[in-house]
Amino acid sequence: MAEIRLETLAHRYSPHGAYALKPLDMTWRSGGTYALLGPSGCGKSTMLNIISGLIHPSEGRVLFDGRDVAAFDTGRRKIAQVFQVPVIYRSMTVGQNLGFPLVCQGAPAAHRRKRVETIADRLGLGAVLNRPANALTADQKQLVSLGRGLVREDVAAILLDEPLTVIDPQQKFDLRRILKEINVEFGVTMVLVTHDQTEAMTFAEEVIVMNMGEVVQAGTPRELFEHPATRHVGSFIGAPAMNFLAAVAQDGQAMVPGTGLALPLPADVGSGSGPGPGEALTLGFRPEHLQLAGKDAALSGTVTRIWFEGLDEIIALSHPAGEIRLRAPAGTGLSPGDHAGIVPEPGRLRLYVADRLAG
Amino acid sequence: MWSRSKTADLTEGRAPALRFPAPVSAWPASHPEGRIPQAQTASRFRRIPVYRQKYIFLLPGLLVLIAVILFPLLFTIRVSFSSWDVYNPGLNNAGGAMYARMWDDARYWEALRRLSVLSISTVLIQYVLGFALALLVWREIAARRFFRVLFLVPMMTTPVVMSVIWRTIFHESLGPLNPILDAIGIGAQPWLSQPGFAFAAVMVVEIWQWTPFMFLLLLAGLLSLPSEPFLAAKVDGAGPIRTFLSVTFPMMGAISVGAILIRAIEASKIMETVYVLTSGGPGTSTETVSYYIYIRGMRDFQIGYSAALSLTYLIIMAVALTLIAKALMRLMVRGAQA
Repeated sequence: MAEIRLETLAHRYSPHGAYALKPLDMTWRSGGTYALLGPSGCGKSTMLNIISGLIHPSEGRVLFDGRDVAAFDTGRRKIAQVFQVPVIYRSMTVGQNLGFPLVCQGAPAAHRRKRVETIADRLGLGAVLNRPANALTADQKQLVSLGRGLVREDVAAILLDEPLTVIDPQQKFDLRRILKEINVEFGVTMVLVTHDQTEAMTFAEEVIVMNMGEVVQAGTPRELFEHPATRHVGSFIGAPAMNFLAAVAQDGQAMVPGTGLALPLPADVGSGSGPGPGEALTLGFRPEHLQLAGKDAALSGTVTRIWFEGLDEIIALSHPAGEIRLRAPAGTGLSPGDHAGIVPEPGRLRLYVADRLAG
Repeated sequence: MWSRSKTADLTEGRAPALRFPAPVSAWPASHPEGRIPQAQTASRFRRIPVYRQKYIFLLPGLLVLIAVILFPLLFTIRVSFSSWDVYNPGLNNAGGAMYARMWDDARYWEALRRLSVLSISTVLIQYVLGFALALLVWREIAARRFFRVLFLVPMMTTPVVMSVIWRTIFHESLGPLNPILDAIGIGAQPWLSQPGFAFAAVMVVEIWQWTPFMFLLLLAGLLSLPSEPFLAAKVDGAGPIRTFLSVTFPMMGAISVGAILIRAIEASKIMETVYVLTSGGPGTSTETVSYYIYIRGMRDFQIGYSAALSLTYLIIMAVALTLIAKALMRLMVRGAQA
């Protein structure tokens, strides 16, 4: 249970190569749940491995409760790491697997047995303690990996590197629930690396969106959903992705021609005569924040596709300014080829200047 | 085309429209291979047609097998019940006389015991050395490619040539080893003229020759291991020795058994090293079973007797290696059968 602080942390795999992880500062509260979200190769696993000590950062510091851990090797950092592939020590029983970190610490056998039993009961592994770990199912093996972390009382944080990828959907759900419960019960800091936005949004209090070795935005799931800091976040988070339409500057406003959508331009954009070069304007809005309206609405288009997500219909409209998608409760009665009008909810429009949220 | 028609057979359960080597429809109705009873195949769903021509394709291999394995084996069994030797060549009926003689042949049993000691000890030493070398060049170290090739050099040399070179090295007055031992104060040793030393010399050559083979197999095994268990062991705080004992070694169990068995089978036939290096001497102190059988059969020309020895040798080795394999599996591949 520790607060983890990253100070101007950065990493490159070769001395003069490109940054795998661009310099960043971040603090993770003790007992919090965090998710590192991003596409493959965005640097999220690098970040995790730096924290666990498997990689030494080329720049910056990692502090656990204010103490620099650079000199501590992985074992002494007292973190638990669960990998994408369930890792068990094949030659050992479940109990021996769980007790392994304590054996490495040299803990007395009686204490070890008690601790292993406690953790095994908590994770529902009590009945299989004496079975060979090799015989377990994938999700049980993942629990064993997790248990090896929890068995140490002084565990600082649990790092989860895409732990649910190889697990069946139903078991995935259970495992996620157990992770949440463990977090509440043990008050242990948890960091989840994932490329699945649903997983990140449901698990974490704070989601850190990464792209190309850079932290693009960090915030609560709601913040990310309502105020995506960049177009990338808007597209990456939420399904279907945020709608983006190219806008032009006119009379101190950014507006999308032919739609009636407009937002006032912030003072720092352009020099009165409009945005400068490289300051492309885009208006963004969520499919969830659109309402269907009559055909004579200011914004209308032709339905091109309709598909279902649960009880909702996702309707794609074609408009000269670009494709617009909207989410509506099922039963709209629309079909491809129909003409439909839409009205955005007030206050939900976002202006992006050069792909970054303005204002 | 072929596989598609095959799939059609299985799924539709009727006589195939197309068959190898030629479409059935192209054959006359009286063709022996083409007569697949239509009514019968249609009534039995998913019936796989009988391809009788498969035996023709099996025949060449079968003939070779009979010629090089089955016939010699049966012939050896027959010969072992005769007293075929240089004075009375030919197959007569001697009953179990050769086996009775073998029972009292202390030299044979002594050779068998010697072979067991020699093969078990050399294979184990090869395993330990090979594993150590493989661990050495497994991780990122400078010039590891160079070392990987260097460690394989002894294996690339012809065994007989290797033994000749070693005989030169061990030569008590002409070889380079004794002067070196002299120079460092250990003193010259009677390498090939004292039983214990000669036995050690055979061991050294065997180990030198075959450690690279162990190294190669074990390195391949190490390189195929997943990295996560090692990361997990690091996270769990395991030191290098504990990591080896708890992670590396158990994961290498299966391949270790494979490597040891391959070597054990090879080592049970040790012959050329002994032949070149010591010719079984001094006396019979380095004689292995195969070398002794060679002496009896090819030098003394006691064909009947050497057949009885060979057959017994074969059976003992088959039983022993099976037991060793079972024991190794139980010992080293824990958890794999669960």
